[in-house]
Amino acid sequence: MASEKIPLLELKGVNKTFNGVVRALIDVNICLYPGEILGIVGENGAGKSTLMKILAGVLPPDSGEMYFFGTKVPFPRNPREAASRGIALVPQEKGVIPHLKVYQFLMLGNEDCFSSFGRLKIGEMRKTAEKILSELNIECDTNTYMYELPLPVQKLVEIAKAILTIRVRCKDTRITPVVILDEPTAPLAVEHRKHLFEFMTKAKEHTSFVFVSHIIPEILGFADRIYVLRDGRVVVSHNLREEKLSEEDIFREIVGRSSSEFLKRRESVTRETPWRVLLSVRNLSKRGSYYNVSFDLHEGECLGLFGTAGSGKAEIIKTLAGIMDFDEGEIVFDGRPLKKGEPPYARLKRGIGYFSGETGKELFLNWSIARNLSILNLEKVIGLGGVILNSKKEEEIAEKVMKTLKIKAPSPRAECYSLSGGNKQKVSVGKWMERKPRLLLLEDPTIGIDVGAREDIYEALLEMKKNGISMVLVSDDPKEYVLLCDRILYIKGGRIEKTVTPEELEKILREE
Amino acid sequence: MKVTFVAWFRKNVSVVSSLAATVLIILVFQAMNPAFLSYNGLRALIYAMSYFLIVACGLTFVIMMGSFDFSVVSLLKLSALFCVVFMDRYGLLVIPLAISLTTAFGFLNGLLVAKFHVPSFMATLGVSIVVEGIVLYFSKGKLFLTYNEAFRALAIKEIFGLPAIFYWAMGIWVLSVFLALYTPFGRKTYAVGSNLVAAELSGVNIVFHRTLVFTLSGLYAGVAGVLYMAQLGGGSVQLGSDLSVPLFASIVAGGTALTGGVGGPHRTLLGVIIITWTQTGLQMMAIGRDIQMVIFGIVAIILAAATVDRKKIRMVK
Repeated sequence: MASEKIPLLELKGVNKTFNGVVRALIDVNICLYPGEILGIVGENGAGKSTLMKILAGVLPPDSGEMYFFGTKVPFPRNPREAASRGIALVPQEKGVIPHLKVYQFLMLGNEDCFSSFGRLKIGEMRKTAEKILSELNIECDTNTYMYELPLPVQKLVEIAKAILTIRVRCKDTRITPVVILDEPTAPLAVEHRKHLFEFMTKAKEHTSFVFVSHIIPEILGFADRIYVLRDGRVVVSHNLREEKLSEEDIFREIVGRSSSEFLKRRESVTRETPWRVLLSVRNLSKRGSYYNVSFDLHEGECLGLFGTAGSGKAEIIKTLAGIMDFDEGEIVFDGRPLKKGEPPYARLKRGIGYFSGETGKELFLNWSIARNLSILNLEKVIGLGGVILNSKKEEEIAEKVMKTLKIKAPSPRAECYSLSGGNKQKVSVGKWMERKPRLLLLEDPTIGIDVGAREDIYEALLEMKKNGISMVLVSDDPKEYVLLCDRILYIKGGRIEKTVTPEELEKILREE
Repeated sequence: MKVTFVAWFRKNVSVVSSLAATVLIILVFQAMNPAFLSYNGLRALIYAMSYFLIVACGLTFVIMMGSFDFSVVSLLKLSALFCVVFMDRYGLLVIPLAISLTTAFGFLNGLLVAKFHVPSFMATLGVSIVVEGIVLYFSKGKLFLTYNEAFRALAIKEIFGLPAIFYWAMGIWVLSVFLALYTPFGRKTYAVGSNLVAAELSGVNIVFHRTLVFTLSGLYAGVAGVLYMAQLGGGSVQLGSDLSVPLFASIVAGGTALTGGVGGPHRTLLGVIIITWTQTGLQMMAIGRDIQMVIFGIVAIILAAATVDRKKIRMVK
């Protein structure tokens, strides 16, 4: 049915090459119909973001054609020109300016339409902001600061900003606005994602969405059509309203191979009965975050803290890491109580490591891979006289880690900012692999990286677990719990509700 | 071959530009004033750069962490004047006393910044004013001179035709380079400057380490003050009062970013040569002080613009 209509937007034969070598897009054809949600899936580096940037006028293509309701038009030269044709992009990250008020943020870049003789018409700005928010059913006060809003609402406000920009810039009111969302769900928790999807499903009556993601189930859940990108090419497209596809199908198309091999191996990891208690938490409380949390963690065990964002799971793991403090209760690690107000380095000395999927917390981007790995393992690379760093040793370690984790880089001396997201993450994991802490705290270990790199990281973590490293996991991806954990604490409203096995969790999730 | 040279050049563009600036300055001054590189000229250049290099090395560690230390000039003054004012009373014991005093103030800087989270910009500025007050109190604004031969020999005794202070400075520079590049201490300093959060999560005791670096900076300033006084043989509160800007300029010209994490004492040597030799070269040509200042300011800005490594430093604040 949709295919009979004239597409709202059509791209034909789009090519883009970076630095004359990296072919980001090769002969890409896509089209978008009014009032639909179009999913774009693919691994990191498949070209999704590049394609979106071309569509939104952020990047120019090398070649290609753009059609607008069947008429050929030039590509937009900048975001403002794109907006005047009804296209706006909600970027992957850093789109929000925290210290602006909601209405100021909404109007950012469009102030010229709300000023007279150089003076901003604040009243009118706020009124317009309120109007668009109520129209889209976003509940928030236009006078609060962006940083005060919860993450999911910030994302909705960003979408509202995109729609508003189109309205302000695009004179033709008959045009359906096109909002491009680049990985919008990465910072959101599961239930907030649902909220976003509901919002989009409702809004698609008047707006078309292009939705970029690497999380397959969510795309399958609500997109109308999808394109699968691999290595800069459109591999296949599906009409989800007509075809019934499984996650596994899409996975194979994205990666170009099957994932069953890995999943099978996971089954063979035997869960031996763990023995000694390594970490014991008793009646731990922090006002406003979590209350009366008690649990034991055995050696070589991986314990999951499962819950929604804001359930207190993130705060608990940060408390264990020493990033946050607790009010009451007791944490005993290896027979010794942990002091209040102990900073992370003191916890690390005791053998508690904290690994976050946010590379900004883990890596020194202007450093080489070798240095990033050795900062956590300085005692291993100290040579002569116990004071001099041995750079040869450093590189040896780096080469070893690069091999085991399949890190793609020209040499151990390559600087980390030049690596792709997945490879960066692998370097972070590598330094903990080399360090071998007794307890490793994992917070969103694979956030924002693609399927292939994820598997390598899971493999590395399972290997570490096999070698007797205990773990505590907090994640937004329920599958990660099933894959990595032996036991899972179900947390709700800051309290432990029940303890479940991975199998039970899988069941609960399926029922939901 | 050609490609590798281009790649090498791109990678080391800021070192190359520092070197080029040094050579250029030497050539220009030599062309305009043949006495520039004469024996006497060279001695003047060495006297101008030696004490300066010592302070700059200490300050470089602080800047590598992305912090500021505005108190070093005052601490240098404190140490220098402490020596000369109390020489008659305590003899050579003034040296360890002066250095301990500045080290203690460095430690105070460190505590304020690392433990009490006062921005280093403000903390060290505040401490520097306190120190200035103390110096004014015990020196009463008068001029003091010292005739203690043993003390003065520390800086002006000739060894292989060059004053002793030159060897002190080079020794301290080599030690600083070693500390920065080849020890865990240096590595942690870069870590703190490059990404504070990651450094903390990688097991760096950031409170201890930052305090240590500020303390070290105080120590360096103290040593520099002692040697500077030994070189001059006397002074008043006026001593070293317009040192701050050249000091920061030399570190930036060397290639250490004020945002931290990049550069290091090995780079500071060239920066110090560029800055102090420009100043001294202008003085040697007997140009009026007004014109000197204008020229020097322009040179400092051009140098900073030319040597900033734009590949590594994305944002300049």
